Amino acid sequence: MTNHWIILFIIVPQVTGILSVLLMNKIRAQRFIGTLSFVFNTVFSIYLLLEVRAHGTIFVSQMSDWPAPFGISIVFDGLSGLLVAASSMVALGCYIHSFSLMHPMTQRRYFHPLIQLLMFGVNLSFLTGDLFNLFVSFEIMLMASYAMLTLGAERRQLTQAYKYILLNLIASTVFVIAAGLVYGLMGTLNMADLARIVAEKTAPGGEGLPAGFTAVSVMMLLVFGLKGAIFPLWFWLPDTYYTCPISIAAMFSGMLTKVGVYALARTFPLIFAHGAGHSMIMVIFAISAAFTMFLGVLGAVSNHEVRRILAIHVISQVGYMVFGIALMTPIALAGCLFYMIQHMVVKSALFLCCGIMERYAGTDDLYKMGGLLKRDRLLAVLFFVAAMSLVGLPPLSGFFGKLVIIQEGWHIHWWLSVLGLATGALTLLSMLKIWSYGFWNPPKGQHVVVPTGAPRPRMLKSGYFGVTLLVLTALFLGFGAQPVYDIAFQAGEQLTNPRAYISAVLQYDIDAPPHEQLAAAEHDAEVVDPMAVVADEREEATP
Amino acid sequence: MMVSSIILRTSVRLILPLSLLFACFMSLKGHNEPGGGFIAGLVASIAFCIYRMSFGAEALLRLLPVHPRVLIFTGLGMAAVTSIAPLLFGLPLLTSRVGTIRVPLVSEPFHYASAVVFDTGVLLVVVGVSVGMIMRLSEELE
Repeated sequence: MTNHWIILFIIVPQVTGILSVLLMNKIRAQRFIGTLSFVFNTVFSIYLLLEVRAHGTIFVSQMSDWPAPFGISIVFDGLSGLLVAASSMVALGCYIHSFSLMHPMTQRRYFHPLIQLLMFGVNLSFLTGDLFNLFVSFEIMLMASYAMLTLGAERRQLTQAYKYILLNLIASTVFVIAAGLVYGLMGTLNMADLARIVAEKTAPGGEGLPAGFTAVSVMMLLVFGLKGAIFPLWFWLPDTYYTCPISIAAMFSGMLTKVGVYALARTFPLIFAHGAGHSMIMVIFAISAAFTMFLGVLGAVSNHEVRRILAIHVISQVGYMVFGIALMTPIALAGCLFYMIQHMVVKSALFLCCGIMERYAGTDDLYKMGGLLKRDRLLAVLFFVAAMSLVGLPPLSGFFGKLVIIQEGWHIHWWLSVLGLATGALTLLSMLKIWSYGFWNPPKGQHVVVPTGAPRPRMLKSGYFGVTLLVLTALFLGFGAQPVYDIAFQAGEQLTNPRAYISAVLQYDIDAPPHEQLAAAEHDAEVVDPMAVVADEREEATP
Repeated sequence: MMVSSIILRTSVRLILPLSLLFACFMSLKGHNEPGGGFIAGLVASIAFCIYRMSFGAEALLRLLPVHPRVLIFTGLGMAAVTSIAPLLFGLPLLTSRVGTIRVPLVSEPFHYASAVVFDTGVLLVVVGVSVGMIMRLSEELE
């Protein structure tokens, strides 16, 4: 279904970003329009998701009114919709949190425009239906993240950012090369069109995929794997998230890796996990999921700094998502999607809690913390709920994600399911470590912000508000898992059987018998077989 | 004040108008052939940079009496408005409106595309960004 307004998810942060540069010295006005932009994105995405849930609609807008495989399509379906909603929510929480926990000098250094540009890139990468445009949106997102990583410009921040920038530059180069190869092999970069061609060529009696397709798939796996921090490409992550301001770290841990995982979940079931390389790619996914899950959690257990534990946990959780992709059944992909959105919310909430904990202890070293339970009940409750959601205790959100993935995995890779359960136990261990050292044990740290018993200072109000917002969302994902899963199952179904996606984006009925399509073609010349048009144009171009 | 050769200064007087003219040509030509606002902006900003190299920063300020930031925002604003406007008419983002109008005293009808406003915006952004960067960098060098 055509809906041109879905572009607002991209335009609103962009325009807000431009406006907040204009309002550079008016910090209140900047905050106001920034919050407004995130609230708008959240509300609008939830509104559209209700429609998606009711009718299974796929909203499409063709940029510049060019028909599908030629122009850029913007697609809002269950998969991208849920992710846009979750990332807008996370951005809102982190943004509000930053009002009280980010140093005013750092805020003045273009933080407000940058966070909008980051959302611009993130939303565009979720919504775009074009492989090259995906590259562009990655670049927009990375550009903003480079600048945000170095906000404050401490020495160690710059060292880590250098590593991050270098790795991402390499990944981007590989991405462009791979995209070029895809265009050379398949003649299109529109994901729906690619999915259509792949389905036609791999169908019984089809001519098969061109040679080299597997190589391109592996290149794409490398690129998205690096962004998503899967084994063995995750080494950049812990240090990078360790150094930057905590509100930004929360946002990055929630969103950036998930964009990489999203790209895997979108392109591999649709396009790249087909043909001769299918079984090999599936094996790579499974092995990578195993190592990512288990090594990640081992790293978390062995650390004693809250930020490091949380950052390394991101990796371990990405493992579950890759596990979902490795199974590649509709149900497992739905579980992967649910796990992604719940992880975005919960992980950011934990990071935001960590920011407030640091304010009490003056450090994030667990050995120097303690007694937070007595000093701050609210924070303790918020942290506990978020931590248990991450672990996956039954009524909370993590449980439903893990349940679906592990249950589905039992029939296909039982050993991965066992590993997943063991990882869950170790996750519990590391979360309890933070809990007991930080909250339960007698106090040790310096009392930087509040002495025991004193009322909470006003300056942290928006910090608590941001965390509460995200924890409430996590609770909703736990207790209201059913409506979310309705959309997720639909999305999983559409990924493994992309007919609905293809006909929505390319705007013709793929199931219709050929003569009806011909009639439709006469009716509207633009929607004939798009490949024929491309071929004609090529013949004209080459003398 | 930098010392520059008289040859450079004399030739820049010739180069500057020519390259600005060429930039205009590029930006208008782009709608049917390769070219466009981006490349035109680069050509124009190279002209400004050479001018700055030979006559110094103050002369450039006299020639271009607005802050580069203003150029960037005017350009971004023009691009944003022309790309969002189609949404209000129920068309997708960035849709270009093409048509012809008759100008009095000219016999041929004038062909226009609304994308030209977008492209001019791009031109201004490119000029603003590159002139701004060159100005800042050369300030630090001197």
